[in-house]
Amino acid sequence: MDFILNPYYLQIVMFMAINAVLGISIYLTLSTGQLSLGNAGFMSIGAYVSALLTIKAGAPILVSVLCGGVAAGCMALLIGLPVIRLQGIYLAIATLGFGEVVRVIVLNLKITNGALGISGIPSMAVIFGKQLSEVGLSSGMGGLTLQQIANLLVLLVLIAVVAVLVFFCIRVHNSRVGRALAAIKADEKAAEVMGIDVTYYKILMFCLGAVVAAIAGGLAAHLTFYIGPKDFAYHRAVEILLFAVLGGSDVVWGPLLGAFLLTALPEVLRFAAEYREMIYGAILVVMMAFRPQGLLSTQTLRYIKEKLGRSRVNDTSTQPG
Amino acid sequence: MILQLNQVSKNFGGLAALMNVSFQVNRNEVMGIIGPNGAGKTTLFNLITGVLTPSSGDIIYQQQSIVGLKPHKLTEIGLARTFQNIRIFGQLTVLENVMVGAHVRSKAGLWHGLWKTPFARREEGNIKQRALELLDFVGISNHADDTAEALSYGKQRRLEIARALATEPEILLLDEPTAGMNETETTELRDLIQQIQVMGKTILLIEHDMHLMMSVCDRLAVINFGKKIAEGQPDQIQSDPAVIEAYLGKEAV
Repeated sequence: MDFILNPYYLQIVMFMAINAVLGISIYLTLSTGQLSLGNAGFMSIGAYVSALLTIKAGAPILVSVLCGGVAAGCMALLIGLPVIRLQGIYLAIATLGFGEVVRVIVLNLKITNGALGISGIPSMAVIFGKQLSEVGLSSGMGGLTLQQIANLLVLLVLIAVVAVLVFFCIRVHNSRVGRALAAIKADEKAAEVMGIDVTYYKILMFCLGAVVAAIAGGLAAHLTFYIGPKDFAYHRAVEILLFAVLGGSDVVWGPLLGAFLLTALPEVLRFAAEYREMIYGAILVVMMAFRPQGLLSTQTLRYIKEKLGRSRVNDTSTQPG
Repeated sequence: MILQLNQVSKNFGGLAALMNVSFQVNRNEVMGIIGPNGAGKTTLFNLITGVLTPSSGDIIYQQQSIVGLKPHKLTEIGLARTFQNIRIFGQLTVLENVMVGAHVRSKAGLWHGLWKTPFARREEGNIKQRALELLDFVGISNHADDTAEALSYGKQRRLEIARALATEPEILLLDEPTAGMNETETTELRDLIQQIQVMGKTILLIEHDMHLMMSVCDRLAVINFGKKIAEGQPDQIQSDPAVIEAYLGKEAV
């Protein structure tokens, strides 16, 4: 308990949750085989729209975060229609360009406060704290201070968001739509000839990925008081993609694992801060060379399931392994 | 008559892959397309299935022009195909591959899948049942849960046929289904094609194996250098001088 109450660790766990949401966003886009680097741009849209709505219009955080998601979804539809016919590296470049455009627009608009960014965003912890003290918990409860309870509540909210998204992904993965997505990922042309409306599903997943990235952006903005254009630059786009590269993009657990590892890594490697980027690079090279499908793949999961299943029926089954 | 090609041409830049090809396919017949390598047979399939659009001419399926329709629409109205170079979904299981074929005959969208509604469960059950039947029909049901890429070459070809049949087509287009198969496998495949014909399907078949073509096809069209040079029943084709010339060269006089 002490571990999770330590504000420093608590913050790391919260960032893990945010990054997990970003990992899921890239998982959704990649589920039709689309290599997009635009999710940082959509995250930026989500962060700015929701931050501005809470600050300027006084909207509740939930509403503003959802509005950010909707705004990014509409934007994704707008740029998706022309861009979706591009494949592989061409799509990556086009979406990378989109991310840069968003960054430059944010940098130059008055309402986004240019390079200075927006500060003083009401944080979820503070708002939860206020609400708790209104219901008479101002002195805390069960040995926890008000601030600690509020922080734990924020963490719960974030974990709930991740859980809902994971549920969504797993259910879709195991449905008729999920099968169509897997077919598109495996062979787009064959999938189309087999009767799947490839354009529809690609745009659908592109937009869903954008919405989820924007929700991550909105949540992140209400976690840190401050957002600036630098938070959503190129390095962020690559970082999001790395979650999927490291963890794998076949199953939703892959990017989730990638997000956890890559969020924890900088903290573990703090003693070697100067070499951090180098170690990142080395990990990438090693992954590409030895396990391009990422740490978790469909086969890995199948293997784990078989292992679990076998140990359970070990006594009755005499089949050789 | 179920399918009709009217003066269909296809140019790739300056190269004329097909020139004014016309023929008809009757309901429930096996129509073979033969011709030397590079004659334009696969291009013809790509035109019919909407992968390519003709430069000129018209393709009529059940009294309606299908030029410009997208491939997935064509599958919906009843055309399905296999590929010359096998294109199964390698990472998916054999069963899932066939179930993908049923996509066009099922409806459950995101919402139904998300909540596993009774409708979605029922539909999934039906699709799975039907897919297993089809795997049984092509003779690979014992591999249902294997990864598709783990299948042998001949079985992958059978899987492709099962997947195409899952779309419930009127016309099945088979692009060199026996390529790379040994004699026994080829004989088995001929039986399979005949069974599919008995099911009431129309089959359009590209093949190089002349024995197979002569025994299984009701009619044949011969293409050489992008032009149709002959059309008719197998025995007519075998004695057609233009065909003999295309395959064996001009007879010395």
